[in-house]
Amino acid sequence: MEIREFHWLMNIVQNLDVGLVVLDKEYKVQVWNGFMESHSGRLAGEVRDGVLFELFPGVDRAWFERKANMVFKLNNRAFSTWEQKPYLLRFSNYRPITGSAPHMFQNLTLVPLADFGGQVTHIAVMIYDATDEAMLMSGQRQT
Amino acid sequence: MNVLICDDSGFARKQLARALPADWDVTLHYAANGLEGIEQVLMGHGDLIFLDLTMPEMDGYGVLETLQREGLRNKVFVVSGDIQPEAYQRVMGLGALDFIKKPAAPETLSALLKQHELWQAKGAATAHDIRSTGQSVSDVGSLDTGIKISPEVRDVYQELANVSMGQAADLLARLLNAFVVLPIPNVNVLEVSELHMALSAAADSDTLSAVCQGFIGAGIAGEALILFHDSSFKDLARLMNHQGVLDRNAELELLMDTANVLIGAFLRGYASQLDTPFSQGHPVVLGQHRPINELINTNKSRWRRTLAIEINYRVQDYAVQCDLLLLFTEDSIATMNNKIMHML
Repeated sequence: MEIREFHWLMNIVQNLDVGLVVLDKEYKVQVWNGFMESHSGRLAGEVRDGVLFELFPGVDRAWFERKANMVFKLNNRAFSTWEQKPYLLRFSNYRPITGSAPHMFQNLTLVPLADFGGQVTHIAVMIYDATDEAMLMSGQRQT
Repeated sequence: MNVLICDDSGFARKQLARALPADWDVTLHYAANGLEGIEQVLMGHGDLIFLDLTMPEMDGYGVLETLQREGLRNKVFVVSGDIQPEAYQRVMGLGALDFIKKPAAPETLSALLKQHELWQAKGAATAHDIRSTGQSVSDVGSLDTGIKISPEVRDVYQELANVSMGQAADLLARLLNAFVVLPIPNVNVLEVSELHMALSAAADSDTLSAVCQGFIGAGIAGEALILFHDSSFKDLARLMNHQGVLDRNAELELLMDTANVLIGAFLRGYASQLDTPFSQGHPVVLGQHRPINELINTNKSRWRRTLAIEINYRVQDYAVQCDLLLLFTEDSIATMNNKIMHML
């Protein structure tokens, strides 16, 4: 890949409207993209090498470790939907004025990242904003 | 009375068993191929036999011929997806009582059993119970649409599936710390109506849940479907190492997680052999937001038959039982066949 392309890709990752976090086996943060910076209010430099559960004590540790374990051991994706677990990290609603949800509802996808030998050494966590869907569904349920 | 269901697909066996009248006082026996079927018959387990035609080891014709040669007068209903007129003539010539088109609907079965005086409905029969069974044989023409898979190609798929299953069982054993009874995958062409029946059963039953997950990669797309039979949530939680309260949400999450793990483990091996990585979508518990019957009706016209790899999972020491179906879209079959040709 050209260095120019690489630069673009990095830029896109930074600007993606999806939260991207890379964690190692000790759950230490390795990558924290722009979305995560904006919504958590913590810069990448602040959280880097910090353990996720210590940085954010509100995270349901047992639950998240169980999910991550499936990814590390099975080299397989894992998922979580807002319906079963509303969020991993409590972020404010993206639309603080007109949005009616108390917080951002999140869908998660956990992706294995393997080293050159095929061993899963890290996982990527992608956080999608599912607030609109959640609001739509709860609205339907009420009517 | 002893009733034997002889079919190589575990899915089809369960399907048929579910479709039999609930108040029918019989003992059910199962056989996974013709030879096992004959063994069961010799043990006296086949007063009445529901017999599939295409099976490994010994097919349905072989069973009928053996019965005839040995002078055994067991009653046989042939249950098959392949109901070409020659097949019909041939099995009737070999002494079968009747021919039932797969999948057998409960009404068809009860009408047929009544007709042959093997079962009487308790209480008054309802109008829709009485339906001619001959009708099923008449729509033979429509069967020729859709995909065809030659026996050689099927063997390759079978081998691929076996190898993938071996790898999957190993991965699962390590993840779950439990012994997964290694099932033999079954490669078959599935009638879409069979699937509809299984899904409707899931819709009607509290103990049957269905989870589906799409997968796609390099021209191959499909959907994996897992049916959980009477699995105890307590055991699922224990298996998946789930702590905390087991409310409805936790149960749904458990279903999705288990499905994701079982599907992922198998797909990983399958993908590596085809040299095509798949991405998997979010797993979805069917019928949660829209009734399953509605889903079925929407998709009715889209396809008729498809290639299916079927795996019946059981986990030792846990009340966890489920069927995994990998269904491929028709246009994926061409791509997969191409890839497979290179392996032959």
